[in-house]
Amino acid sequence: MTAKILCLTRGGESSYPNQDGAIAIAKDLDEELLFLYISSVQFLDYSAAPKVVDIESELDEMGEFLLVMAQERARKAGVVADILVRRGNFLEVLKDVVQEYPIETVILGSSTGDTGVITEEFTSEITEEISREYDVEFIILKDGNIQKTFKIDSDWEDCQ
Amino acid sequence: MLNRTDLKSKLLSFLGSYSHVLLIAILAGLMVVIPGEALALTNGQEGGGNYVIIGTLVDQQGIPVVDVSVKVLSIDGTELLGETESQEDGTWRLALIQLPAGELQIKIEHPRYIPQTLNLSVHDLDNLNEVGLHRLGETTLDWEINAGFWAATLIFLGVILLIAFEKLHSTTAALTGFSALFLVSYVGGAFNPNFFIFSFERGLSYINWEVIFLIMGMMIIVAIIEATGIFQWTAFQAYRLSSGRNWLLVIILIAITAVASALLDNFTTMLLMVPISLQIGLALGINPLVLIIPEVLASNVGGISTLVGTPTNILIGAYANISFTDFLVNQTVGVIVALVGLTGFILFYYRKEFMKKSSTISPSLYKKLEENARLEDSQSLWKAGIVFAFVLVGFILGESVHLAPAVPAMIGATVLLIWLKPDVHQMIIAVDWTTLVFFMSLFVVVGAVQEVGLLGLVASEMASMIGDNLPLGIFMIVFGVGAISTVIANIPLTAAMLPIVDFLTMTIPGAHSKVLYYALSMGAAMGGNGTLIGGEANLVTAGITNQTNTPITFKGFLKVGLPVTFITLCIGFIWLLIRF
Repeated sequence: MTAKILCLTRGGESSYPNQDGAIAIAKDLDEELLFLYISSVQFLDYSAAPKVVDIESELDEMGEFLLVMAQERARKAGVVADILVRRGNFLEVLKDVVQEYPIETVILGSSTGDTGVITEEFTSEITEEISREYDVEFIILKDGNIQKTFKIDSDWEDCQ
Repeated sequence: MLNRTDLKSKLLSFLGSYSHVLLIAILAGLMVVIPGEALALTNGQEGGGNYVIIGTLVDQQGIPVVDVSVKVLSIDGTELLGETESQEDGTWRLALIQLPAGELQIKIEHPRYIPQTLNLSVHDLDNLNEVGLHRLGETTLDWEINAGFWAATLIFLGVILLIAFEKLHSTTAALTGFSALFLVSYVGGAFNPNFFIFSFERGLSYINWEVIFLIMGMMIIVAIIEATGIFQWTAFQAYRLSSGRNWLLVIILIAITAVASALLDNFTTMLLMVPISLQIGLALGINPLVLIIPEVLASNVGGISTLVGTPTNILIGAYANISFTDFLVNQTVGVIVALVGLTGFILFYYRKEFMKKSSTISPSLYKKLEENARLEDSQSLWKAGIVFAFVLVGFILGESVHLAPAVPAMIGATVLLIWLKPDVHQMIIAVDWTTLVFFMSLFVVVGAVQEVGLLGLVASEMASMIGDNLPLGIFMIVFGVGAISTVIANIPLTAAMLPIVDFLTMTIPGAHSKVLYYALSMGAAMGGNGTLIGGEANLVTAGITNQTNTPITFKGFLKVGLPVTFITLCIGFIWLLIRF
């Protein structure tokens, strides 16, 4: 994979605007896009019901399907996109992927009320941490539009 | 060589020659035994004796009380004439060598009951002297609301709240309760006997091993069947069959989920159905929640019709000896009608979404969906299907020979392990031990509130409210348990309700048909549909949809779940009235 732009997505309908935003950025920069889905079974932590199903594999397959949908949207927009499904802790996985691939830009969706998996505070923390460690630029999208960007030498830049 | 006659004559001559030695040996033996026995009797231990007093001790619910100290004293209470403890069946027996002149006093003591003193009158003693036996009959002991009572009650409520508010993993919460009980019993009890709730052995006696092994056997069977991909394949076929008609798709998915959750448990069913349904919904361009919320509601209702459909039914079946067939015969029609009611409401509630024209799925997405819903191993599926069918037959036939359902389940699991030769390590991992530990700990925690009389007091109150009115009893159980289940995990609730329902079954005329247990089954499962936190299946469903940025909100679920709960509880109640 040679994509330099990484877009994290959870793939549901609410994620479509930000996927489109990421596709538009990739098109502008004439770069390939890598969609990443991180699955986590943390929600099962409090349940005592029997977990006999290989739920991680089920979620991986679901994630892959959602990314194929995102990939189709990119293809229709004339952007080449690759997909990647990983399991585990959000921050750890993100660091691994940034390290493994020649990623220069990471696109994250802004937290939108109840549906956001990460808070704004958490977004700021991880972007600063990863930028410092791996020298990548972060773009935060909200409803498909760039809300702010961050690069280690230029700090946060508000775009709205 | 000696023949048989020779042997016989030699033996007789030996016995003749040494008969005196044998006699001495027997007498010596008796001398050793008799003083011991006599000592025991003079100490008042049960055993042989000239004068025997017997009785039975029960609590306010008529349940035998074990380990109660029974002492026979002189009428002034100064001289201990004998003592014993009640047995598992509540009976006690005291044998006295001699009777004192005048009256006798019998003291009955147990930390959890109000002490009682019974007097044996001169007339009773004359009778005892004449016949050698005096029956005191059944003595009812009243619970004492003491420190142990409050400790057990607080621990039980603490566990319920920890589970409800997800402050701890359910298993950790139950284990915390388990440990706290014995800490209070042994450490607190050492300072103040009123803190003693029960002994470790007594606590363990509340664990229902039939439930544990049935769940374990079913886990292995389900893990093997699940790996074949049959449920995902079936959901995909539903999508194909519906050919773009969303209303038809949801009806088929409701039916599949209800049947699957009757055979597996509803939690597992939802783990399998949600990911594939999400994919189908998103691919069709409709809100996937209009497929998934009806599924979870159907899974909570569908499981009611069989013994293995819900963990609550497993608890009820094992406790009340209700068989697989009993559940099937007495619940299925009610469940089907409830599902029809549920489907009707869903079609009305989501009518706009169902009238929408669904998107055409692209070939690449279709291919991916088909790939995700493929049958993994048809050979294994056939074998697992055959074994599962035999397990079901075992459930049905086993009841005629009083075979616990756990036996066919464990046999089926073993046969599958031998026949399919899956990775045994994987299969052992598939057994969710945390669930089993949860059940074991929960049994002990619920046992504690039963032991101290909390459940008995609740049962007595309920019995006085219900009186002889069975329909009112059914109503109270169905709607009462249903209402509580909307906010409290239904497994601990059901476990706590079982002794109460048992008491009501014994006291309300006509309830011997076990109708109140069926009411409990319906209330606990259908009530779980009321809110998002009402059932494990609801929470896991929300957990999965949240992974795709398609959250099920508490309010969103409530809007659909509450009316469905009301509709299904009404149907369930009416069905039980008709059936019984």
